[in-house]
Amino acid sequence: MPRFFLFRFSLPIIFILFGEGLPFPRLIYAQTFHSTAKKTLPNSHFGGTLKVVIGSSTGTLDPQIAYTALIKTIETPVYDTLLTYPKLSGPNAHPVIADLAEAVPVPEDHGLTYRLTLRKNIRFSNGQPVTVADVAASFRRIFMVGSPTAGPYYSHIRGAQACLKDPAHCTLDKGIETNPVTRQITFHLTSPDPEFPDRLAWRHAAILPQNTPTHDMGNTPIPGTGPYLITDYNPTTHMRLERNPYFHEWSRNAQPAAYPDHVFITFGLDKEDEVSAVENGQADWMYDNVPLDRLGEVGSRYTKQVHIYRLLMYSYAMLNVHEPPFNNLAVRQALNYAVNRHAMVIYSGGAAIATPQCQLLPEGIPGYEPFCDYTLGASPEHPARTWQAPDMKRARELVRASGTEGEKVTIVAPAEGRTSNTAEEIRDTLEALGYKASVHNISPAIQFTFVQNTNNHVQISLGGWTADYPSASTFLMTLFSCESFRPHSDNSPNMSGFCSPTIDRMMNNALSQTLNNRAESNRLWAKVDRALMQQAPAVPLVQTRNVILLSKRVHNVIITLNDELLFSQLQIQ
Amino acid sequence: MILAFFHRISQMFFVLLGVSVLVFAIFFATPGADPTARIAGRNAAPQTLEKIRKEYGFDRPLPVQYVIMMKKLFITQDLTSYADRGERVVPEIFRAAPITFSLVGGAALIWTVTSIAMGLIAAIFKDTWIDKTLMSLGLVGISIPVFWLGEVVNLITQNRYHDTWLFSWVPALGYIPLSENPIGWFKALVFPWCVLAVLFIGIYSRILRADLVAIAQEDFMRTARAKGLSSLRILLWHGLRMAMITFISLFGLDFAQLVGGGALLTEVVFGLPGVGRLTYQALSSMDLPLIMATVMYSAVFVVVSGAIVDLLYLFLDPRIRESHKKL
Repeated sequence: MPRFFLFRFSLPIIFILFGEGLPFPRLIYAQTFHSTAKKTLPNSHFGGTLKVVIGSSTGTLDPQIAYTALIKTIETPVYDTLLTYPKLSGPNAHPVIADLAEAVPVPEDHGLTYRLTLRKNIRFSNGQPVTVADVAASFRRIFMVGSPTAGPYYSHIRGAQACLKDPAHCTLDKGIETNPVTRQITFHLTSPDPEFPDRLAWRHAAILPQNTPTHDMGNTPIPGTGPYLITDYNPTTHMRLERNPYFHEWSRNAQPAAYPDHVFITFGLDKEDEVSAVENGQADWMYDNVPLDRLGEVGSRYTKQVHIYRLLMYSYAMLNVHEPPFNNLAVRQALNYAVNRHAMVIYSGGAAIATPQCQLLPEGIPGYEPFCDYTLGASPEHPARTWQAPDMKRARELVRASGTEGEKVTIVAPAEGRTSNTAEEIRDTLEALGYKASVHNISPAIQFTFVQNTNNHVQISLGGWTADYPSASTFLMTLFSCESFRPHSDNSPNMSGFCSPTIDRMMNNALSQTLNNRAESNRLWAKVDRALMQQAPAVPLVQTRNVILLSKRVHNVIITLNDELLFSQLQIQ
Repeated sequence: MILAFFHRISQMFFVLLGVSVLVFAIFFATPGADPTARIAGRNAAPQTLEKIRKEYGFDRPLPVQYVIMMKKLFITQDLTSYADRGERVVPEIFRAAPITFSLVGGAALIWTVTSIAMGLIAAIFKDTWIDKTLMSLGLVGISIPVFWLGEVVNLITQNRYHDTWLFSWVPALGYIPLSENPIGWFKALVFPWCVLAVLFIGIYSRILRADLVAIAQEDFMRTARAKGLSSLRILLWHGLRMAMITFISLFGLDFAQLVGGGALLTEVVFGLPGVGRLTYQALSSMDLPLIMATVMYSAVFVVVSGAIVDLLYLFLDPRIRESHKKL
């Protein structure tokens, strides 16, 4: 399921006012298309130390538990899964290809059985050969360590329910069969999971040595199979990666060999200082997004070093359908009509970095078909293709019809720059519609869990959602299915509390088509997207792009759909 | 003396108890602060949440959780972070402390020497333009927020003029251990030292000047003058020594709170991974074990430094020595 996106920006007012007028966005936009085309320099350069600067590191290094975007990026060239997304630039990096397995399995028994064969002669970074026993142990370990996706992603494996209930005695003996002679691994599912190949490519299904302790390893690195191994780590200061001496390239598209010999990551600088460090050549890559107040500077003075790419992510205002006034469909639709997405784009850094979002699937996700129900001159019955302007007249009519004018509305937003500005804008919009609106900013560390719990009676909350992997279900099912609404729990990603059995059936139907007819599945997901937006459980705001800055000496930038920047492919010259 | 020692120890115990209970209670009273869901990960299954709750002991009553946390912090010292899972917070503090010591020690040296010089010169040239200029400069130093000054220094040394001969020697932001590269250590810290010292130079020079001026009217100073001692000797030996009592009282408290994490803003601005930045990180991620450890560390320092300052009084002021003898 998707990761919750915490905004990384701070936004000076001056930039909000004038940001869109800067020449910068066009410059880096042009740069994007150069940078994201895969190319290998004629004089490919191996060796050197890649110096990376990152604001902070949190979480665990354990690849079966870690859920932050940062650790995912760092561990992409450290661990492998049976299948993976292609390490290619552009939209073709989809669907999954074979990684540690020899081929992508064809589902058997109507999607209940998957057979894979493990590649030969692959070793972990400690020299141990990778065997089918390691594969089976790794899947058991997902349950034993309490991986966050053990339930949502792997509960279809036969025996998984018992493992969830009693992780310490998890065997999965009926769910996974292995044959060490033929190196075959057979997965048996209790019910078809059309996205099972995607689950096998998901990071928590990393293949680890079978003797790995069955508890969270925290900051102790576990041996992996990728081109790098983590040799030193302190979450407050640094991390060092070195070449895995046992690595050999078995599939360039699945896990390419790395170019730099070493990678040294420094933690602890703020984003402003990260920009300066890269500009001065003291670092090669700043992991964090370039802060908005420095975009003009890097766009004009360091154009060739800037790269921009689209994220499978959008920001939204989630409307709680159980709390007044948003328990009224007319009010939810009214706010969708009234929100000025043009202002949201400016708050996010301008048109080159953000685009207005009208629907619940972002561009780039299979099933995405552009439409906009709530804009000037459109309606759910006659949608426009793109957002044009707010329709305050229609919005006021809807609010009047709902009889909710004058009610109090509190927006719960994470206390940090850009989101706070977005919250203020929505507050103004609600006031203009006749509500008594206020903003409640709380620590970004707890805002996400706070807004999920129905006990807190949150009416409207701000946030963002990004895909774990390119799939419509990771947005629509996780955010709006009945199953993901868990009242009174801090872990209820369906924050709007929206539950429609009809739309749930549509989602299951779309999902089931993934196995046999991907085009039909995509068409059905587009229908689900439209059906959901008619009910308006959220106000989609903007889809953003990531802006990264690299040093002059770094080349060969490869940005994939699923894994973002592949730092192992950067060449130092 | 033994009684005083036990008095200090019991005082420290009650301070630590009060502070730790307060931190613990505030954390768990904050809505949404329950760390279970954050540790389990997004959309984790209810069974996974249950497993985490048991593993971390969040299913136990709060007083039991408090006692276990204190035991792990002070006795077994294996308290681990909720955010950086598996990271033991006590060694983390011990790794960060030398960096904070390096920063605060250097800054303290600068502010002590500079403020004594400024205070003395201003007292000697009382009511002249020199006195007024120095005291105005001190006021400017007090008025400048340290984070702003730090950012401006970074803007100049790391950004706008980094390519010039003047600042090309300035290393990237961050810390270079003294044992690895003493020159690099000095280069990395020289600007943070100066930035941190600016505020204290202003405060201490003004206080010292005021004390010196007030002490000049005291009987013992008149006696010294009557004995025919030189003005400079009277000022340095009799005046400065007495004026240093206030100076040292303040110094002890300031030094302790800075070493205990008060240099947070300077550490964050200059990317120094000291105790202050650790505190900042703990608060940003709502990481209770790290918050608790940094707060306890700070409280210990403040109490201990208070005791050291009391000892220094005995050395500096004969009247306090005498009163202790009578006791």
